Amino acid sequence: MRKKILAIIAPLILMALLLTACAPGATPTVGPSPTPVVVKETVVVEPTLAPAGPVTITFWHTYNEVSPENEMLVETLIPMFEEQHPNIKVESLPVPWEDFRRKLLTSISGGVAPDLARLDIIWVPEFADVGALTALDEAMSDFDQYKDAVFPGPLSSNYWAGHYYGLPLDTNTKVWLHNQEMYDAAGITEPPQTMDDLVGQCEAIKKVNPDAYLFAADGTWAWVTLPWIWSFGGDITDLDVTKASGYLNGPKTVAAYEFWLEMYNKGCFAPVILGSGIDPWSGFAQDLYASIDNGPWMYPIFEAQFPDKELHASLFPAGDGGSINVVGGEDIVLFKQSEHPEEAMEFIRFVLSPQYQLKMAEVGQLPVRLDLIESDYIKNHPYCGIFLEQLRTSKSRTAHPAWQKMDEIITNAGQLILRGEKMAQEALDDAAAQIDALLEQ
Amino acid sequence: MVYSKQKLVTNALLYTLLIIGAVITVFPFLYMVSTSLKGPVYVFEYPPRFMPPEPTLHNFVVAWTSKRFDRYFLNSVLVTISTTLLVVLFSSMMAFAFARLKFVFKRPLFYGIMIFMMMPAMTLIVPQFMLASTLNLLNSLSGLVLVYVAQNLPLSTFLLTGFLEQVPRELEEAARIDGASSWTIYWRIMLPLCKPALATAAIFSSLGAWDEYPWALTVLNDPLKRTLPVGIAAFHGVFYSDWGLVFAASLIAIAPIITLFILLQRYFIKGAISGAIKG
Repeated sequence: MRKKILAIIAPLILMALLLTACAPGATPTVGPSPTPVVVKETVVVEPTLAPAGPVTITFWHTYNEVSPENEMLVETLIPMFEEQHPNIKVESLPVPWEDFRRKLLTSISGGVAPDLARLDIIWVPEFADVGALTALDEAMSDFDQYKDAVFPGPLSSNYWAGHYYGLPLDTNTKVWLHNQEMYDAAGITEPPQTMDDLVGQCEAIKKVNPDAYLFAADGTWAWVTLPWIWSFGGDITDLDVTKASGYLNGPKTVAAYEFWLEMYNKGCFAPVILGSGIDPWSGFAQDLYASIDNGPWMYPIFEAQFPDKELHASLFPAGDGGSINVVGGEDIVLFKQSEHPEEAMEFIRFVLSPQYQLKMAEVGQLPVRLDLIESDYIKNHPYCGIFLEQLRTSKSRTAHPAWQKMDEIITNAGQLILRGEKMAQEALDDAAAQIDALLEQ
Repeated sequence: MVYSKQKLVTNALLYTLLIIGAVITVFPFLYMVSTSLKGPVYVFEYPPRFMPPEPTLHNFVVAWTSKRFDRYFLNSVLVTISTTLLVVLFSSMMAFAFARLKFVFKRPLFYGIMIFMMMPAMTLIVPQFMLASTLNLLNSLSGLVLVYVAQNLPLSTFLLTGFLEQVPRELEEAARIDGASSWTIYWRIMLPLCKPALATAAIFSSLGAWDEYPWALTVLNDPLKRTLPVGIAAFHGVFYSDWGLVFAASLIAIAPIITLFILLQRYFIKGAISGAIKG
């Protein structure tokens, strides 16, 4: 009996001992040791010695931990900043994107928010609305200098209820990317200029391979559907974001969705829009999808994954409203709970410097500074140009704390239409009524 | 004759069902193994191939040597072992009290603990976070262990109470006549008798601690203190994930749990069933 227990427990204990032995100084797991408490108390006892040692500020973001962006930030840029500011240390924390919002909200309610965060532009109004963010136009004496140095579109994503709650960090938009091999096989000579061109292109593609599709996107969420709605001349709400009726269910938006339905039923748009089949960019790489609309991050990915496949970019096809895509990107924000706002703002100044912006451009992040468009680096860049051109007409998603819910409503309406469960007009009438109710709150 | 024929049919049917069930369960796992052996170019190949065209261990090497993976692994091992030992110790003591001792509010207390077993961890995350923040338990592995022990105690207590209630009372009475104290009865008689249930509790609580993701992600802000699930999740990107790498990392993470299960398996079955019958 005893031997058997030993046989089970012994390896466990052995493993524990071995592993602890391998890592001297690893954090103790059990048993509160009294030492740290004493250290903390001594700090509290001597508050007279103000900022003697370096101050640590925390910066949370969603760069993939094994990505070139994260490497550039941690290995090159933060050391550069710390060298320039020996009294400030920056702690960077990458958090998976899906859980970032929840982790931030929980940390704020627990009173332990970071000093700085890189937020998706669409989240800024929500965090500003719950009172978590510092209004930078009030806190930073030289705010106007930075405000005038950046693109107005990305800047506007920081504006909520009369104040700017952040500054743009990087920007992006999507352009039309086509598969040259499929175009050649189908005899298509140039990318589509207008929505009408798409119909003819689809027929040519289907003639070569009935199982191929002209276009693929990964859902019916606003990030995917907005370029179509806007380019058709429609919109989600009025400019002041007070109502959706008359916009989301207006004739132009309905026309955009009816065009989608027609293309979907004809087999021109891939079923992956409703979630079945292979995802857009890998289908593109395997000559199943002739075109996608996507962002600058696709270039490093294709370089690593499909080195034989080239991406060919052009402006999004134009409709009645012009060629309009959606602005993405991130802002840097300062939390009210920050204990070192001055040092944190120093880091904000650093991330907006031409030096930082150009370094990040090397790993696929489009810069936000107006003066950099004229720089040699951007002028000679293989793909930045087309994105900057598309950015001239691109629009931001609706800035509103309830955006997340609005996006869900839009996603559902798109699914109902494509599945043929509701007519476009009917589905959009319902969606507009739901969003109206949200906006009234 | 008729009987055995009938039995044959029943068995055939049973085995077919079991085989189908096994295939359904094992297939995704095999696919994971297959993907982890593929180079990135083949991961999204269509139609997918089950046997990787040019199998490579590259993903495993990259995962293991990537930044701090070994540190995450070590953190997870430390947290899991500590959690498991504490859960088994405390839950067996609690179970002994509930099954064997008489005291006031015994039933309400027992049901009170059971209620927490049924509460989804996600609903508690904000209040728990505020409590942990006040107690200075954020951002430390010992804080993580404390919360994991609390999370895993109810189920283990429930399992062990069911098991201990089945132990014949005569054994305890005999020991008492010989002058044994409650502690001696618990330590010398009850614990050795309920090894299967202890093994079950150990498997459940180590799995609970090893796999836990939302809480660890929420409270750990120091990258050096991350546990494996949080570390693996950081391999995902917003627009792009290297699935070969993610699956290789996940397989490395699954290995210790499978080993533990195989080691304790024969106890596990007994323990799980005994808990079920007693309810």
